[in-house]
Amino acid sequence: MIIIGERINGMFTDIGEAVKTKNPKPLQEWAIKQKEGGAHYIDLNTGPSCDDRVAGMKWMVEVVQEVCDLPLVLDSTNYDAIEAGLKLCKKPAMINSVPAERPKIERVFPMAVEHNAQIIGLTMNEKGIPKNADARVALAMELVAAADEFGLPMEDLFIDPLILPVNVAQDHVPEVLEAIRQIKFLADPAPRTVLGLSNVSQKSPDRPLLNRVYLAMAAACGLDAAIADANDDSLMETAASVEILLNQAIYCDSYVKVYRTR
Amino acid sequence: MGLTGLAIFKELPKKNCGECGVPTCLAFAMALAAGKATLDACPYVSEEAKENLGSASAPPIKLIKIGAGDSKTVELGDETVMFRHDKTFYHPTGIAFEVEDNLDEAAFAAKLEAIKGLEFDRVGLHYTVDFIAVKNTSGNADTFAAAVKKAADAADFALILMSEDAAAMEKAVEAVTARKPLIYAATADNYEAMTAVAQKYEAPLAVKGSNLDELEDVVNKVVALGYKELVLDPGSRNTVDVVADLTQLRRMAIKKKFRTFGFPVMAFTSEEAPLDEVMQAQAYVSKYASLVVLRTTEKQFILPLLSWRQNLYTDPQKPIQVESKIYEVGAVNENSPVYITTNFSLSYYSVEGEVESSKIPSYIIPVDTDGTSVLTAWAAGKFGGDRVAEVMKELGIENKVNHRNVVIPGYVAVIAAKLKEDSGWNVIVGPRESAGISPFARANFTS
Repeated sequence: MIIIGERINGMFTDIGEAVKTKNPKPLQEWAIKQKEGGAHYIDLNTGPSCDDRVAGMKWMVEVVQEVCDLPLVLDSTNYDAIEAGLKLCKKPAMINSVPAERPKIERVFPMAVEHNAQIIGLTMNEKGIPKNADARVALAMELVAAADEFGLPMEDLFIDPLILPVNVAQDHVPEVLEAIRQIKFLADPAPRTVLGLSNVSQKSPDRPLLNRVYLAMAAACGLDAAIADANDDSLMETAASVEILLNQAIYCDSYVKVYRTR
Repeated sequence: MGLTGLAIFKELPKKNCGECGVPTCLAFAMALAAGKATLDACPYVSEEAKENLGSASAPPIKLIKIGAGDSKTVELGDETVMFRHDKTFYHPTGIAFEVEDNLDEAAFAAKLEAIKGLEFDRVGLHYTVDFIAVKNTSGNADTFAAAVKKAADAADFALILMSEDAAAMEKAVEAVTARKPLIYAATADNYEAMTAVAQKYEAPLAVKGSNLDELEDVVNKVVALGYKELVLDPGSRNTVDVVADLTQLRRMAIKKKFRTFGFPVMAFTSEEAPLDEVMQAQAYVSKYASLVVLRTTEKQFILPLLSWRQNLYTDPQKPIQVESKIYEVGAVNENSPVYITTNFSLSYYSVEGEVESSKIPSYIIPVDTDGTSVLTAWAAGKFGGDRVAEVMKELGIENKVNHRNVVIPGYVAVIAAKLKEDSGWNVIVGPRESAGISPFARANFTS
């Protein structure tokens, strides 16, 4: 289970402020802290209050890479900002994200192939987020066909079937599990799957409980990665357990420690 | 796994005409993958696409049978995994021995006798070899046919006929038609004539390329002639190249569903010294060869190879068992101690090794517990005192010894009372771990 640390995002006030004032300290501290928690990738999002997203993303990539060697996930709707960031990444990065819309697919997929980057593809289009699993899978199929068309290795495509908060969109939650199950059968080798895990518990009490239970459920359906809180110990322990119980990692008594230090 | 949506989509015409009842080809591909539509609904799909989609659900590596009539029939191919621990390997590598047709009569007969002598009994198993490969070294068609006939008459082995001259091949196959020998080999130069011979006699055909590209090319040509009973030889002869080629062939067939390579593969040893040759053969058996052709027929080199083959092709999911009978360790007599264990080979051999190192000749009785360990069997009700007493009685251990003492594993001390009651024997609770047998035996049974 790949965990993408979600914390370096301008939506959080400390990061938003740091991006504005070009203060590297909070970003660097969070990068190190998330790596210590066991994160495998670091998500970078300038946030909405950043005026020049291209410059903002470039700065973020540079200051985080100064202190942390994890691969980066460039999280933006501005593809110029992502492209500028990709050029600075020392390790193959991940693009977060592209919806199943032709113009955006045609912009992002060649860029990913050129920079040896991975892509998070969203099962949504101009019409919004579909209601049921079948419609999500149909959009996933368009992303799979695009990967084949542009020559992106299928293992480098992470499809996100878009989880919504359980308190307001409860009926979507099991549909997403079903979508993950079916996405694994779209191609051979199968595309990978990812969730913005923390969305499931937006504005609910005891968020870590919902997050980790849903992670385990989704993992059993074939989830490969999650953008999540790498400093939630109970979540990281769940991620470690999941790998053991799905026979993805060889069991040993210290499996949690191994998962976090690998 | 059936066909994936992407695999189907690639075969569709991509017109998005909607005539199938689904708005786009992509959606139609998904409907097909989900089993909600049939391919006939699309009027524009090509014959080739239908063929590809139809065969994509076939097994990745075709099963090929060599031999028929009064000879052994050896099944090759039909494998599904790259690593045995993922499932198991199904069809053990066929072992063949090359005999040249230009040997004088005595040498030829001696060679056949040597091959016939390659039968071994070891740890309750019987090992045999499979093929005689007759090689047309003489270049003479009549000599070749006569040698093949001799080999067929000498033993019931499956046959491999080696000649690149189609006329000589035809003559030789004719001599042993009923045996369905493997014809070796169709090459870029002779494939038309060789395929014709194979088709006429319905015999399996080996296809040889000088590299993987040429092999692909020749296989496709042979398949285009309508023949698919094939075994592949990638042509390499150095161990490192052969292992790379065999891995590639297996990977392409299983992972990429590349049908041109979806056949069993064969390898030839090239080392001169028998020891090096058998090491080479062991690498090929390990790395996906369905058939290995060797030259040495010396027993001491073949036994380890057959042991390895047997080992590699066991099913990792099924516990290996030993036969449930009275085993004698050392020069036993009527006073020798009697140990009880289960027939799970790990349990049995742990006990046997320790009993042996105790230097006290003893009897060991492995109770048939379907190959489960002591505690597993006991928990499943297969190793109770009544059951052990029954087995002791059945095997007649009471006729072998004068005493009435039996040693049981320490972890199942709890069965002692029942065993004593049912058998009338005095039950001694041994150590929990077999490693404790040596000191235990020295303390209790000084000979």
